[in-house]
Amino acid sequence: MGNIILGVGELGATNNSADCVKTFALGSCVAVILMCPKTHTVGMVHVALPESKINPDKVKTRPGYFADTGISALLKKMTTFGCDPSGRGFIVKLAGGARIMDPNNTFNIGKRNALAVKKTLWKYSLGAVAEDLGETYSRTVTVSVATGETLITSPGRKDWKI
Amino acid sequence: MEQRATRADILAAIQEIPLLSPSASRLLQIASREDYDIDEIIEVVKCDSALTARLLKTVNSVAYGLVHQVTSIDRAVSYLGERLVAGIALEDSAKALFNKELKGYEGPAGELWEHDLRTAVAAREITRHCTTDLSKDLAFTAGILHAIGKAVLSDFLHSSATELLAEIDSHDINDYLEGERNILGMDHTEAGFELAKAWELPESLQMAIRYHHTPQQAPEQYRPLVYAVHLGCIIAMMSGSHSSDALQYHLDKHYTDYFNITNEHIAMALLEVNESVGVIQAALSEGRELSE
Repeated sequence: MGNIILGVGELGATNNSADCVKTFALGSCVAVILMCPKTHTVGMVHVALPESKINPDKVKTRPGYFADTGISALLKKMTTFGCDPSGRGFIVKLAGGARIMDPNNTFNIGKRNALAVKKTLWKYSLGAVAEDLGETYSRTVTVSVATGETLITSPGRKDWKI
Repeated sequence: MEQRATRADILAAIQEIPLLSPSASRLLQIASREDYDIDEIIEVVKCDSALTARLLKTVNSVAYGLVHQVTSIDRAVSYLGERLVAGIALEDSAKALFNKELKGYEGPAGELWEHDLRTAVAAREITRHCTTDLSKDLAFTAGILHAIGKAVLSDFLHSSATELLAEIDSHDINDYLEGERNILGMDHTEAGFELAKAWELPESLQMAIRYHHTPQQAPEQYRPLVYAVHLGCIIAMMSGSHSSDALQYHLDKHYTDYFNITNEHIAMALLEVNESVGVIQAALSEGRELSE
């Protein structure tokens, strides 16, 4: 079994049923997981920030960095596996978007990331069937291509699935 | 049931930790002053052949991608910057601490150094928005050192992470620091402070270590620095962390007394952290391998 490991702002996809797609230690970042049932392809993008206008140059080298450019880039990547570029029929899962402990929600980049991701998904008429967003813990996400099972681990906590 | 360590055990363990190398110690002393000259840094490096070799290997690493090889230590220090030179000397001198597996926090080897580096870069970025004069080099160095107490406490926090997180989730305790104190009678900021005293670090760095989660308690003259590290540590945790205490601390809202920061500034700092840390890590790793 192979692992496709995605760093911050990276995206990837595979239709090899022996693979897992994985990203480590999401803090305020959000992992957007797209699954195409027709082609049995799983794609993921590790979104770090909501909007690309903060650094447009970065989009050229790493479009996955931003919610507003990362999802379209992932959909494009998945077309190379024969997936519909519109994302029609895709299963969507989301994880991450954590925050520091603060009742005033100052600097809640995680929440802004999650909202920006959802807003972008709506443009494609896509919505998440499962999500684990917000809260105050780090998440490592592993998606099995064979089963679509999405496992979340966090140091000191029991593993869980979404 | 296993007997948990006491405060006295931890203080005794701190006294057993080797002192910093004379070069690292001297560089930290120099870098903590506002009026130092880069020549003072260069002089210290020149007297330490191992550090000289490491700096030259680092600056000439593929990660920095310089067209012309740097062969003089003067140019190497200028290029890397005083802050990174002090950081490299510190990591070399206390690598066993910085790179140990954080078993008590369920963090892998290297996690502490990576978090420290992320905090250092974020704290440096944050100084741009300080409403008073604050040295970015000092903020960087303080960021490198701020969580060193976790390397001390980790060995004593056996299998406590699940218990502590459950207590925080159920609001039985306020944050991870309180959990550490309940178990050991001491939290990682105090352990770090005790180590900083044993190492005779400059007072500004001692304060940054002691109060980085409670900056309001720091003496007034050190608060801009301590808040920079406080915010830097939070940004570092937001950018990703592999240890059980990640994000289990509170933001002190009084940062606004010293900093004028918007969400966009935080986003820029996150971007800088993700960009810089990878390059620094790659260069240091290459420099380390070539030096060994």
